[in-house]
Amino acid sequence: MTQTMEPSSLETSNGENLHRPLGVYTRPKGGSGWRDWVTTVDHKKIGILYGAAALLFFVIGGIEALLIRLQLATPDGTVLGADTYNQVYTMHGVTMIFLAAMPLAAAFANYLIPLQIGARDVAFPRLNAMSFWVFLAGGIFINLSWLLGGAPDGGWFAYAPNTGIVFSPSHGMDFYALGLQITGIASLVSGINLTVTIFNMRAPGMTLFKMPVFTWMMLVVQLLLVFAMPVIAVALFLLTFSRLFGATFFTPELGGDPLLWQHLFWIFGHPEVYILVLPAFGIISEVIPTFSRKPIFGYPFMVFSGIAIGFMGWGVWAHHMFVSGIGPVSVAAFSLSTMFIAVPTGVKILNWMATMWGGRIKFSAAMLFAIGVVSMFTIGGLSGVTHSVAPADTQQTDTYYIVAHFHYVIFGGIIFGLFSGFYFWWPKIFGHKLSEKMGKLNFWVMLVGFNLTFGPMHILGLQGMSRRIDTYSPGFGFETWNLVVTIGSFIIALSVLIFLINVITSARNARGLPPIGPDPWDARSLEWMTPNPTPVHNFDEIPIVESLDEFWHRKYGSDEDGKVVRVASAEDVCQDGSAEGIHLPSPSYWPLVFAIGLPFIGLGLIYSLWFCVFGGALALMGLYAWVFEPVDDPDVDHHEPQKEDVSD
Amino acid sequence: MKPFSSYRTSWFYVSFLAFFLFFTGCSSDAELDTLEPQGPSAQSIDSLSNPIFIIAGIVLLLVVGGTIYMWRFRSDHSDEEFPTQIHGNLKLEILWTIIPGLILVGVAVFTLITLAEINSTEDNAMALSVEGETVSWEPEVVVVGQQWWWEYRYYLDGLEGVDLSDARNLPPADIVTSTQMVIPTGEEIELKILSRDVIHSHWIPALNGKKDAVPGRVHPWKIEADEPGVYFGQCTEFCGLSHSRMRMQAVAMEPVDFQNWINQQMQPASNPVSETAKRGQETFSSLCARCHVVNGLNDETSIGADLVSNAAPNLTHFMSRTTYAGGIFNLYEPDGSLDRSQLEAWLRNSPDEKPAYAQGRRGMPNMGLDEKQIDDIVAYLQTLGARPSSEIISATEVE
Repeated sequence: MTQTMEPSSLETSNGENLHRPLGVYTRPKGGSGWRDWVTTVDHKKIGILYGAAALLFFVIGGIEALLIRLQLATPDGTVLGADTYNQVYTMHGVTMIFLAAMPLAAAFANYLIPLQIGARDVAFPRLNAMSFWVFLAGGIFINLSWLLGGAPDGGWFAYAPNTGIVFSPSHGMDFYALGLQITGIASLVSGINLTVTIFNMRAPGMTLFKMPVFTWMMLVVQLLLVFAMPVIAVALFLLTFSRLFGATFFTPELGGDPLLWQHLFWIFGHPEVYILVLPAFGIISEVIPTFSRKPIFGYPFMVFSGIAIGFMGWGVWAHHMFVSGIGPVSVAAFSLSTMFIAVPTGVKILNWMATMWGGRIKFSAAMLFAIGVVSMFTIGGLSGVTHSVAPADTQQTDTYYIVAHFHYVIFGGIIFGLFSGFYFWWPKIFGHKLSEKMGKLNFWVMLVGFNLTFGPMHILGLQGMSRRIDTYSPGFGFETWNLVVTIGSFIIALSVLIFLINVITSARNARGLPPIGPDPWDARSLEWMTPNPTPVHNFDEIPIVESLDEFWHRKYGSDEDGKVVRVASAEDVCQDGSAEGIHLPSPSYWPLVFAIGLPFIGLGLIYSLWFCVFGGALALMGLYAWVFEPVDDPDVDHHEPQKEDVSD
Repeated sequence: MKPFSSYRTSWFYVSFLAFFLFFTGCSSDAELDTLEPQGPSAQSIDSLSNPIFIIAGIVLLLVVGGTIYMWRFRSDHSDEEFPTQIHGNLKLEILWTIIPGLILVGVAVFTLITLAEINSTEDNAMALSVEGETVSWEPEVVVVGQQWWWEYRYYLDGLEGVDLSDARNLPPADIVTSTQMVIPTGEEIELKILSRDVIHSHWIPALNGKKDAVPGRVHPWKIEADEPGVYFGQCTEFCGLSHSRMRMQAVAMEPVDFQNWINQQMQPASNPVSETAKRGQETFSSLCARCHVVNGLNDETSIGADLVSNAAPNLTHFMSRTTYAGGIFNLYEPDGSLDRSQLEAWLRNSPDEKPAYAQGRRGMPNMGLDEKQIDDIVAYLQTLGARPSSEIISATEVE
C-alpha cells in the first residue's frame, strides 16, 4: 500500500512547505456540513447516504406503483395510456430493485459490517465512497430519461428483441442499459470491498463462525454480487452495442438469438433475488434473538443454509424461462433444482420460529416487522414452489400470480426486513429511537395494505390476468379485485408516510436531549458495544472476541443452575467513545469527481461524443488525482502514539 | 362441540376462512380462468397443481399460525428473566431438512410425469375432404405472433416440406386466419409457434399452458378441446405498446362443423355485386391491399405488407370471425347484427382505437378515409366470408 509514503514530504500545520510533488493535492479537511458529506470516506456516513438516497428512490418507485394502480383500478383505465404505462411499470421495477432495495441493503451493510466485526472502517474507504457516488450518479442518470424523451419502456427484464432500436426507438432503453451499467460498477466494487473487509478486518478472536448471522448473510451477498454483476454487465454491453452500434447479438435473421439475452439476464437475475433477500434474512436473524432473549437457533444451520442458497441460486435461472422454448429436459432439470432450493429456505424459516419458541418475546416494532418477514416471506416461498412445478408454471407465468409471488418475496421478505432493521438500528445510527407506538402502527397499516395489495393478485393471476398489461376489458372477472388492490396500494403508501412522519417527529422529540444510553434493546452483537450514535472512530479499543454474541456474553453469565444472570451492566461493557487520536482514513474529493464523469460518458454515447470526452476526462482526472493524492493530511493529528492502531 | 373455545382455535377458524375465501374468490365466470380446464393438457396441469396448492396451503397455515402462536411468549422485557438458552437441536434440524425434502421429492415425481404428458404428442389424424379429395390431416396449426395480433395458418397436406424457418416469408397456406384459431373437438392439435418480430406468448388457459413465440425459432406445443366452444386467450409475454390488446380465441367445433368451416375457408373471395361494395373493393384494392390480402383479389400479386412484420391479417373470410384488431373488438352485436359503429371507428382512425406505432411500420395507420369510403369498405368487407353460427357469436361476448 502507498501508506509507506512519508507524510513529512507534505505541508505541515506550521506552514512549512516541505516538497510537494506534481499532482499531489491536499485532502479535504472534513469538518461539518455538506463538504463533509460529499468528501467522507467514513463507512457510517456512506451508509447513511446510501439509506437516504435509496429511501428517496423508494418513494419515487412507490409513486410509480401508485400510478400503475390508478391506471389499473378500473377496466379500460385512461390515467396513463399505454406508452406512459409501459415506461412507468419499467421504471417501477428498475427503481425498486436497483435503486431502492439493493442500496438499502448496502446502507445496512456499510454501516453495520465494520461494527459487527470490530473494525474501524471498510478495507478500501475511498472505493466505498466511490461506490455510493457511482450508484447515485447511475440512479440519477436513468431517471434523467423522463426528461429526455421518455423512460425505458421494455420492462426491467428488457427482453430482446423488443428492446432493440426498431421496437423501442426512444432513448429510454439506452438510459436503462448505460444507467444499470453504471450502478453495476457501484455494486461490483462494493461487493469486492466488503468481501475483503469481512475476510481481513475482523477483530482478534472473531473467527468466521463467531460472526453474527447478519454479517454472514452479507458476505454471501457480496460474493453473489462479485459473480453476478459481471454477467449483467455483459448483457448490458450486448444491448448497448446492439442499440447504438448496430450489433446483432439478438437478431435471429442475422445469426443472433433473442434467448441469449434471457439466459444472461436471468443468470444474473436469479442470484439477484438472493442478493436482495439475504440481507433481510440477516437483519431479522439479529432482531429475532434479541427480542426473544434467546440465541439464534441452529446458528451453523442458519449460516450453511445461507451459503447453500448462495450456491444453489446459480442453478435455477431457467425457471424464469419455462415457457420460452428451452426444451423439456432443461425444463425438468431447472424445475427440480428450483424445488430443492426451497429446502434451505425452509430451514431458515423453521430456525427463526424455533428461536422465538419458548422465548420471552418483546413485540417491539422491529420484532413485528421481523415476524412479518417470517410469515409473509413464507407465502412468497410457497407460491414459489408452485411455480417450480413447471407444468403449473405454464399456466401461472406472466400472470398476476407471479406478480403476487415476487411481491410477497420482495416486499414481504425484503421491505419488511429492512423496516425491521430501521427500527432496530435507528438508535445505533442516530442516537434516538423511532417512536415505538408509531412503529407498531406503521407495521399494522403496512401489513394490512400489503396483503390487500398483493393477496388478491394471486386470485387475479389464477383468473388469467396477464402481467404488464396497461388495461383490461370488463367482463373477465378482474374488476373487483383490481379495485381492492389499488385501495391496498394506497394503504401501503399511508404506512410509508407514517414511517416518514415517525422519522421526523422522533428526531424532533429527541432534539436537545442527550443521545440514548448504551444498549437500548439488550442486544447481542459487537456494534452495540460502541456508544449511540456511533463515534467516528467506532471502537475506543478493538474488542477481543471470544464467542458468538460477544456483547451479550460480556453482560450475562450463568449461575450454578445454568440460569442466566447478569454479570455486568451495559454501561460497564459499552465503550464511552472518548478515545482520541485514532488513525482514520482521510476524506477525499476524487470518488465524487470520478462518479460525476460516468453519466456524462453515458450521455455522450447517446447524444454526442463530446460529452464522452468531457465525462471521460473528468473520470480520468478523478482516478489520476485519487492515485496521487497524499495518503494523509499531516494536519490531522492521527500520528499520536496509539498502541492498538489496527487499521492498516 | 365447542366452536371458538379458545383464541387458539379461533385463529385456526379465521385462517381457514381466509384460505377458503381465497379459493372461492376465484369466480367461475372469468373467461381466462386457469382453474377450469376444458382439455386434456390443461386437465393434467390442473390435477397436478391442485394437490400442490393444498400442500402449500397447509404449510402456510402452520407457519402463519405458528407465528401468531408466538404471542403466547410475549413479555415486555421489564424484568431480567431469561428463558432456557437453547442453541439448537441437531435432530430437529435434520428432521426439518428431510421432511420438506421428501415432500418435494413427491412433488418432483408427479411434476416429471405431467411434464412428460404435456410434452408428448399423439399420432392422431382426421379424415378431411379438401376440394373433393379425402386427405388424412394430422391436425397441425402454424401460429404466428406479431405486434399485436395472432395469425393461424393451416397446411392441410401436412407440414412436411413446409419451410417455417423464416416467419416473415412463409410458404402459402391453404387457410390463413387471424385472432381466431378454429379447431375440431377431441383432436390433439399440434401447434408450431413462430414470431415475426418480438417475443410473444400464446396462451389459451382453458386448453393448455402457454408457450412463447420467439423470432427465429419454431416452438412445438399442443392444445385440445373436449367440447365445442370459444376459449379465450391473451398474449402473455410483454411485446410492446399494445401488449394488453393482443388477444385471441380458440373456436372448437364438432368435426362435422369443422369440415364445413374448412370448405368455406378454402373458397376465394367472390366479386361483390352491389354498387357500394364494388366501390369499396376499388378503395380496398388501392389502399388496404398494400398490406391486407384477400384471396382471389390480390393473393397472387401481394408482395407482403409494408410493415416490420411483413404481414397484416388476411381478410378473405373476415366476416367468418367474430373479433378483429387483435381480438379486442367484437364484429357482431349479441343479437347477431354487425357492430357497425365500432368497425367504422376502426376504419376512421385505428391508432385512436388501439395504440400502435404506425409511423414505425408497426400497426395499422390512419388511412385518412372519408365517410363515404368507410361506408364503401364496410359494404365490401361484409361480402368477405360467411357469418359464423349464432352460438359462436354469443360465446364471444364477454360479460
